[in-house]
Amino acid sequence: MQSALAKAVALILSADAELCNILSVTAKMSISSSLIALILGVPIGIWLGSSRFRGQSILLIINRTLMGMPPVVCGLIFYMLFSGVGPFGKWKWLFSVRIMILAQVVLILPIVVGNMETYVTGIAQTVKETAKGLGLSGWKTFFLLMNECVYQICSTYLLAFARSIAEVGAVSMVGGAIAWKTNVMTTAIMQYTNRGNFSLGIALGLILMTISLVVNILISVMQRRINR
Amino acid sequence: MKINAFSKTYEGRKVLDMPEMELTSGKIYAVIGANGSGKSTLAKCLAGILTTDQKQQILSPDISVGYMPQKSYAFRMNVEKNIFLGSKDLIRAKKLMKDLQIEHLAKKSAAKLSGGETARMALGRVLMKTFDLLILDEPTAAMDMETTSLTENLLMEYCRETGCVLLLVTHSLQQARRVADEVFFYYKGKLVESGKKEHVLYSPEMEETQKFLKFYGE
Ligand SMILES: Nc1ncnc2c1ncn2[C@@H]1O[C@H](COP(=O)(O)OP(=O)(O)OP(=O)(O)O)[C@@H](O)[C@H]1O
Ligand SMILES: [Mg+2]
Repeated sequence: MQSALAKAVALILSADAELCNILSVTAKMSISSSLIALILGVPIGIWLGSSRFRGQSILLIINRTLMGMPPVVCGLIFYMLFSGVGPFGKWKWLFSVRIMILAQVVLILPIVVGNMETYVTGIAQTVKETAKGLGLSGWKTFFLLMNECVYQICSTYLLAFARSIAEVGAVSMVGGAIAWKTNVMTTAIMQYTNRGNFSLGIALGLILMTISLVVNILISVMQRRINR
Repeated sequence: MKINAFSKTYEGRKVLDMPEMELTSGKIYAVIGANGSGKSTLAKCLAGILTTDQKQQILSPDISVGYMPQKSYAFRMNVEKNIFLGSKDLIRAKKLMKDLQIEHLAKKSAAKLSGGETARMALGRVLMKTFDLLILDEPTAAMDMETTSLTENLLMEYCRETGCVLLLVTHSLQQARRVADEVFFYYKGKLVESGKKEHVLYSPEMEETQKFLKFYGE
């Protein structure tokens, strides 16, 4: 046990090639998917939170349901869609980083939307009334609302990133955890543990926990700013 | 300035019923009434924030309307920048901040202001512009006596100088007596009595108004 830990630290310090590859695939996947989800989700969330229209509550219920979608179900759906017999089979996306990003976006997007919607709902009415009372234009009001959301957007991004980096069910199904190609930290930990190679697993676990710690510290700083 | 008749219904309950009205430029109208009598609803309908039951314009579209909500909002920026949201007029901003005694707070983050300071900032923000009709929903509710008095003088001066119609929603009879030219008294969503303040606030005809005045000490 102790020697495994020592080896893990040694692997990190020596910048082991396979470890570095896993880290870079992980970074590529989680940064891309969380950014895409943020770019799509923030406007949708602000829109849902700041307007009233017919069918809105149904959209919110659907979003809440998607927020709780089990990752393996998401993995299953994309596996079927992109497998040889599926409608998108000829794209040959299965077991690539690309489809891992896609699956992750589908998992994270509802979280981004829900997170923004909840926040915006709380302030939109007052912001809009105040802006209208000052005779400000619709665009100016929208930018003001965006400005009010800056910290919320940052903390939502961090949350999305944290979800993405820690997710295992969907990415292992559609990515296949292929070494040097689609293996990310979480899937690699599973793999190495199954093979009895604990030290690489521990090394990855340590890194993952450290990232999670940093992200959560940042989130709590953001949250404190939001709560004024 | 003509205001068309309108009403507002919430959840099947008519909370406001307004007859047609004529307002005169440069005059201050105080809107008084108990909690829930429909004062804020009136303000929001006139400000164009709420759609009325009639779904049509209450005011002619070429009339500019300014409005300060009952709950002042501080945008996530410093006090000065909040004030400049109204307009970019530097001289006016300086004067208003001085009059409202918030000069020393200019660079402070607006979110960190006290309730009364936030109200002063919000008032300064809306007074940066000139409107045909300015609606203030209890602007002095969170202010201390000294600031209230400063504010009242500022409002009277603003009206005189810009010639705007000021609709001042207030809980304070004293305030209505000090600043208003005319008074609207609301009771359960109905405009029970209106007219010159000498009439409504000193010798009202309606029983509801008399009761209201008695309750407030006179
Ligand atoms: N969004 C809403 N939905 C349902 N009822 C509402 C809504 N807004 C206001 N009301 C009701 O309309 C009535 C008038 O409310 P309004 O806010 O105009 O009162 P007010 O005279 O401003 O009272 P206060 O002195 O407490 O500010 C109240 O009975 C209130 O409960
Ligand atoms: Mg009110």
